[in-house]
Amino acid sequence: MKLFSKPSSVKGTLLALLLPAGIGLMALAWVVHGLLLDRMSRDFVESRLKDEVAFLEHQIRQAGGAVDSLNTGDYFQEVFHHAFAIRSPSETLISPSAWQPLLAPLLTMDSEGSVRIQGAEFSGAPSDILAYRKAFMVDGTPIVVIVSEDFGALKRSQTELHAWTAVVSVLLILLLVGVIWIGINLAMRPVVSIKGALTRLQDGEISRIGVRAPEEFRPLVQQLNQLLDSLDHRLERSRDALANLSHSVKTPISALRQILEDTERPLDASLRQQMASRLSDIDTQLEAEMRRSRFAGPQVGKSANPLTQARDLLWMLGRLYPDKSFELASSLPEDCRWAIEEHDLNEILGNLLDNAGKWSDSFVELSLEEVSGKPWISVIDDGPGVPEQELAKLGQRGVRLDEQTPGHGLGLAIVQDIVGRYGGRLGFAARTPAGLHVQVTL
Amino acid sequence: MRLLLVEDDRLLADGLTGQLEKAGFSIDWTGTAREAVSFGKHDDYRAVVLDLGLPDGSGLEVLKTWRANQINVPVLILTARGDWQDKVNGLKAGADDYLAKPFQTEELIARLNAIIRRSEGRVQSLLKAGGFELDENRQSLRLPDGSEHSLTGTEFRLLRCLMSRPGQVFSKEQLMEQLYNLNDTPSDNVIEAYIRRLRKLVGPESILTRRGQGYLFNEAV
Repeated sequence: MKLFSKPSSVKGTLLALLLPAGIGLMALAWVVHGLLLDRMSRDFVESRLKDEVAFLEHQIRQAGGAVDSLNTGDYFQEVFHHAFAIRSPSETLISPSAWQPLLAPLLTMDSEGSVRIQGAEFSGAPSDILAYRKAFMVDGTPIVVIVSEDFGALKRSQTELHAWTAVVSVLLILLLVGVIWIGINLAMRPVVSIKGALTRLQDGEISRIGVRAPEEFRPLVQQLNQLLDSLDHRLERSRDALANLSHSVKTPISALRQILEDTERPLDASLRQQMASRLSDIDTQLEAEMRRSRFAGPQVGKSANPLTQARDLLWMLGRLYPDKSFELASSLPEDCRWAIEEHDLNEILGNLLDNAGKWSDSFVELSLEEVSGKPWISVIDDGPGVPEQELAKLGQRGVRLDEQTPGHGLGLAIVQDIVGRYGGRLGFAARTPAGLHVQVTL
Repeated sequence: MRLLLVEDDRLLADGLTGQLEKAGFSIDWTGTAREAVSFGKHDDYRAVVLDLGLPDGSGLEVLKTWRANQINVPVLILTARGDWQDKVNGLKAGADDYLAKPFQTEELIARLNAIIRRSEGRVQSLLKAGGFELDENRQSLRLPDGSEHSLTGTEFRLLRCLMSRPGQVFSKEQLMEQLYNLNDTPSDNVIEAYIRRLRKLVGPESILTRRGQGYLFNEAV
């Protein structure tokens, strides 16, 4: 069971990412707000209590330490909204008296500064207070003053404020979700339009995608359009090829039928000869067209492993010509790949090696390398070679330097075709003392 | 010489039968893959001409069945598809030669004679060492995991030399004799390059280097 299954749509991904993030951050802000509020209010109350203690101290010093002579009447009630306790060796004063049990223990403590008492259970007195205690000497008499405030009341109002903040936060989150939703939808609009265009393309309403795509999708649309172009192109080519083929094949066929249907006509040797050559023409045409239609030319996403293919071909030719040695020389890594369609590479290697095998005396060597990052193929043999003046003619369609060897004389022409389609070069050179050296750069 | 012809086109088969009989063969003919498989079991055929496109199956499957049953009669495949990959697949399945249609009967007869000549005195010979099997006829190596790898001539001869006597050290000079090279003076690096390539196949532990002496095949891996 997977904890998170990856959402399959861009929209889903964005929502899955942005929504929890937004909510989480809002919640964090709210918690931090609560903590800060807590601290701030405590600091504020504490500083007020401190001021009041200072005021009381001032009063007591003015009275020369006589605590009972302090005016604890109305004035005190007005100035002080807080409970207080004063202790001198002669007497103890606590107001309001309900706070007595809370504050009395504090008087006897010996710590200075603010004290927080929580969870106290006395009737009439709050359960959560903050007090400030100060001890000092007036003319040699030790005096302790404590001022305290009901912290619970403050907490309650603080909680209310915090709750309101939560409400506002939730509203903000909802707003944020709305904005995210709208943003995603707006951003995804081009995708929707591309989707629509693809549907229309499928239904055949349009033949190319003409959507003004945003920058991120432009290469995709271009690739698609290129693919469609090349498909159209290919269809056109194969139609043309078939039309040509059918035309060039049908004529000899009808000529042959003509001869065969004419029962009066004797089949003499010369007529047989003619018929056979007509049939050979048909075959040659077929073969040439078939091979031409089979090679792909450069294509995105097509690559071949030259070493595996070369090994297979060399092994096969070694079986077919058992008294000749076919060798491979290469420093390419085993898993190297070339950006050339497999069938095309096979056609290049097969034709070159087959030629070399036919002509060689006892040895053929195939070298595969990469020269400045480009595939480089070389085939050498120790056969009779080709005279210097004939080298230029090699690879031209229909040129056969020797009518005696079997084959259509198509091999090199096909290699030339394919190499040309990959924008490469096919070169021939004579070897010393004898033999031919063929080089292909792609 | 008895010869089996497997070809589904009656017209072509009849024509071929006539011309092959003129050339001194006696022909058994069949047009289906099923019959071909059972015909192949008779061991008095000197050669087989096998068409790949049969109505009830592929000639390649027939060939593989024969070879799996140790029927080692030389086979020449006929096919209308002249693709290099098809040729390779045909030979890998165990064919000895290959002819694309349309062909001239003279060429067929010449090639038949050639593969018959080649097969004479041929025995099933497997060289085994340390879990590896070297097939002399197919010039291929079977690894312990059952996969088969085709070798070039020199690779095959070097490996045959090393596997013929596992544990014996062969000097570079001795191995050099297995090489056929265009250069009159092949360098030591050539041997090293081949050894490196063979080690990729059989694993680095199977061919050991003895410094200053040479190489040996180690079957205790």
